[in-house]
Amino acid sequence: MPNYGMVIDLQKCVGCGCCTVACKGENNTRPRANGQSYNWSDLLNKTEGTFPDIRHTTLPVLCNHCTNAPCVENCPVTPKAMFKAEDGTTLHNQERCIGCRACQMSCPYSAEQLDEKSLSGETYSVISFNFEGRDTQPQWTDQSELIKGCTASGAETGTKAGTLVPHMNAYESGDYKAIRRAGVVEKCILCHHRTSNGMQPACVAACPAQARVFGDQADAGAPIAQLLKQHKALRLQEAAGTEPNVYYIRKYGPRS
Amino acid sequence: MKLTRRSFLQASAVAGGGALVAGCAGRKPVTSAMTEAKALPKQPAKGEWLASTCQGCTAWCPIEVFVQNGRAVQVRGNQLSKANNGYCCVRGHLIIQQTYDPDRIKVPMKRTNPAKGRGVDPKFVPISWDEALDLVADKMIELRTNNEPHKLLYMRGRYSPTDQALLYGTVPKIFGSPNSISHSAICAEAEKMGPGYTQGFFGYRDYDLAKTRCLVVWGCDPLSSNRQVPNTIGKFGDILDRGTVVTIDPRFSTSAAKAHEWLPLKPGTDGALAAALAHVILTEGVWNREFVGDFKAGKNLFVAGQTVDEAAFEEKETHGLVKWWNIALKDATPAWAEKETLIPAGQIVRVARAMGEAAPATAVWMGPGVGMNPRGTYASMAVHALNGLVGSIDAPGGTLQSNKAPTGEYPKVDAYLDEMAKKFGKEKKIDGRGAKDMPAIMGGPGKTGVVTNNVANGMLKDPGAIKVILSSWTNFNFSCSGAHRWDQAMAKVPFFVHMVTNPSEMTQFADVVLPATFAPTEKLSVITNMANLHAHASIQQPVCKILWDVKTEETEVVWLLAEKLKAKGFPNLYDYYASFEDPETGKKPTNAAEFNEITARISSAPIWMPKEPLKGDKIESWTDFRTKGVYNTERYAYKKNWGKFKTETKKFEFYSETLKKALTEFADKHKSTPDDILAGCGYVAKGELAFVPHYEPPKRHGSTSEYPFDFIDYKSRLNREGRSQNATWYQEFKKADIGDESWGDVLKMNPADAARLGLKSGDTVKVSSTTGSIVTTLKTWEGVRSGTVAKCFGQGHWAYGRVAAADYAKSQPRGGNNNELLVDDYDRLSGSTARNGGFTGVRIEKV
Repeated sequence: MPNYGMVIDLQKCVGCGCCTVACKGENNTRPRANGQSYNWSDLLNKTEGTFPDIRHTTLPVLCNHCTNAPCVENCPVTPKAMFKAEDGTTLHNQERCIGCRACQMSCPYSAEQLDEKSLSGETYSVISFNFEGRDTQPQWTDQSELIKGCTASGAETGTKAGTLVPHMNAYESGDYKAIRRAGVVEKCILCHHRTSNGMQPACVAACPAQARVFGDQADAGAPIAQLLKQHKALRLQEAAGTEPNVYYIRKYGPRS
Repeated sequence: MKLTRRSFLQASAVAGGGALVAGCAGRKPVTSAMTEAKALPKQPAKGEWLASTCQGCTAWCPIEVFVQNGRAVQVRGNQLSKANNGYCCVRGHLIIQQTYDPDRIKVPMKRTNPAKGRGVDPKFVPISWDEALDLVADKMIELRTNNEPHKLLYMRGRYSPTDQALLYGTVPKIFGSPNSISHSAICAEAEKMGPGYTQGFFGYRDYDLAKTRCLVVWGCDPLSSNRQVPNTIGKFGDILDRGTVVTIDPRFSTSAAKAHEWLPLKPGTDGALAAALAHVILTEGVWNREFVGDFKAGKNLFVAGQTVDEAAFEEKETHGLVKWWNIALKDATPAWAEKETLIPAGQIVRVARAMGEAAPATAVWMGPGVGMNPRGTYASMAVHALNGLVGSIDAPGGTLQSNKAPTGEYPKVDAYLDEMAKKFGKEKKIDGRGAKDMPAIMGGPGKTGVVTNNVANGMLKDPGAIKVILSSWTNFNFSCSGAHRWDQAMAKVPFFVHMVTNPSEMTQFADVVLPATFAPTEKLSVITNMANLHAHASIQQPVCKILWDVKTEETEVVWLLAEKLKAKGFPNLYDYYASFEDPETGKKPTNAAEFNEITARISSAPIWMPKEPLKGDKIESWTDFRTKGVYNTERYAYKKNWGKFKTETKKFEFYSETLKKALTEFADKHKSTPDDILAGCGYVAKGELAFVPHYEPPKRHGSTSEYPFDFIDYKSRLNREGRSQNATWYQEFKKADIGDESWGDVLKMNPADAARLGLKSGDTVKVSSTTGSIVTTLKTWEGVRSGTVAKCFGQGHWAYGRVAAADYAKSQPRGGNNNELLVDDYDRLSGSTARNGGFTGVRIEKV
């Protein structure tokens, strides 16, 4: 069995957002609301120094698919809704999820309620929650028209296209649905519907800098293993002891 | 306890969700077996990748759209494209949300409220295409009946480079109006003046980034916008390993964040910095000998402050180096430039050396920030001349011209012009080009270019001059500086027909609205461009089921309009279109759909049925072209234009004989002199200085006492021109624009200035210039110099859609539009609209 992970080369990364937008399209994640970003892939920004001697890093972030995953440990249902696949992916089964948010609270990379700082990329949350009793796709159930009879509505667009979300990426998965229901959490599953079929995760496939390398860390010949051998890698919040499987190599800029 | 979803819901109904949630976190896991559950089988979505073309910026990337059951779902670069290596930038991904924008106009609309103005509800009602086109044709026929066909104006926004000939190039001409107006001059036209008047190339340059050893990014951020963004993103990281990256920009950009050197010059002083870099390259003797030549005696005679004998230097591919030195460079020392630009002299020397050391693999990538200001032509020439000095013109690793993909021509239009069309077609254009104070000598001696933004002034000056406007994919009330002038001008136009996808700001002034296909996923056309040493032609085609009653303006709509005009007694336009013949079958079009397809086949035929075998990709047939989606030419040959530059001397002109000729001819036409013309246009150069690249001090609207901050305008990496702001993905990842905030619009100010003014991040502020004001949010940021403020162009829509505007019904904007601050002014030699160079002073007050 492979041991999947991802290396992100910050020298190649330009913070363009292709990964984050491609992820939203691939996984049909909804727009932010209720303190939840629903961004399975996101960007952190950090600018330091004073003019003109300033340094900046944009850090693309996603679920770290930790080896010691607190979200899995703390999932209280049996069998677990949040669980590790044999290939190392931290997966989520929406049928079993009870929406207790224990995963969200225990994940050192997540927040129950995102603050305004997430809008500038100072904070983020790996795990988002769909509140009970609330529409998870309000954009596409909205029947209002800006100009009556002349412009479309979200609902009419979906109806005409033939799906609730008109651009829905209709993958099939026994664990998670292409569109989430109310009362469950959601997070990056490393595009398991793609990787279990020999494809790259959407964020990797979309990266025009080819800064993201996904693969089997256990395979010494794999590009990911070679990069990890070649470069000193950084992982987020090492001290938390979660043993992330997402690594960062090199610097965003020569002056970073 | 075995907890399941059902038992949890029952429990939470009693205890209340919150309490149990809090309890869960601390609870010991029921089992520690992390993999007790097994992953269930999964399948990626099934569908197919269909080829099309992006057009979200001017790169016009060949793309592919992943289509599931007729729905457009994902976008990537065309896997066969050599321009983008199979990747699109973030704009490409936004195509999906634009296709399924909930605020798309789904049927033709008619205005029922005769009152026009910003904030006035047009009270649009739906009508049929038949009724809409009857209304349009009637108004047009009325112009001809009244002997005033020249009062028809067509304004072109985003277009197809082939099919634009059918609307922009044909409708006004056959009808009898000179008024075909392109948007070009609000984009980056002044940038073309540099390569234009030095090497005779009035176009956008290509760059050999795979071999570049010193990349100088100047007045743009090619990792975000400008041109060939995906190709640049793919190659930038390696250039950092291979050599030096220098970014020259008054604000901290992504390219600045990733550069070895950032030179945050005082806005508008680019010409001074370029002159100083040239001065150092010459005094230190690091210019490129192969391209420029050398002193006959070998010894470098370029010494600061000293004139050089022209006869002492023997040039190779260039003309006028010593003249340039004597006229504009000898005193342009780094110390002098430091005073003008605020860039330390030591850094100027360091950068000049790096440029010289890597020559000729030194690419100076100039963007619109250099030239799009009131005296920008000369800054543009000065910056581009550096490419000449380091010999990077058409050199490996340097700045290149480009190949062209072959395309088919449509039949000649002349035979369809009646006497009225010939007569009134010679009337003066409404944009004022060619007037003594608006030379617009874009393209070289004897040529003129468009002055897009001056159209509003023309209409305001003479409200009867234009009676019917047709316009497609424009939004000048949002995208032109001095935006309020367009509100005033459009409110007075008796009949305006807008062909667009969304109810934009400009649409609010329309009498009839014809809903357009969204080009990248719904329009059939052939698009051409170049990048990464290859030119290409790519198909743009409907890839998904079209949900609305929309039509393509450049083919279907003009055909249907021509039918209407014929029925009302003016058959010429119809007769012209109906004369087209399919390149393969000879069949003539009999309806709009056939015309749509035949025109695309004519445009692309030289690719799939070439008379002689092509040097680039082999495309077997029309079907093969639509399937592959792209034809790539052969690689551009280095030094291709050496010795045959399209200048007066055939050389790269440091002393521009070509500009001298153009200016002299223009002055002669107005019985004037170049000095007089330049003075009247606001330039400071006199005499010989007018013919060499040089520094013109920045022009500024507003005194520094009343408007103390230089305003810096730049482009969002998420802007699909002005149209993507209604996409939630745009808003959510606005923070990908360095320093910006998602779902917001921030004016960035140095913290020292903010402290002085008692302002802090998050404050709502009113920003005012001599021309207008906006209200937006302040953010303190170290990425701008004290005395300057920066704001990204993109937000500030008061129409367009429910996401783009804070409140569409009440015309309330989300943030503020930079164009309401920027003053209506021009680089008059090119006709370009000023946007950059700190030409607009602003005042900032807490609201």
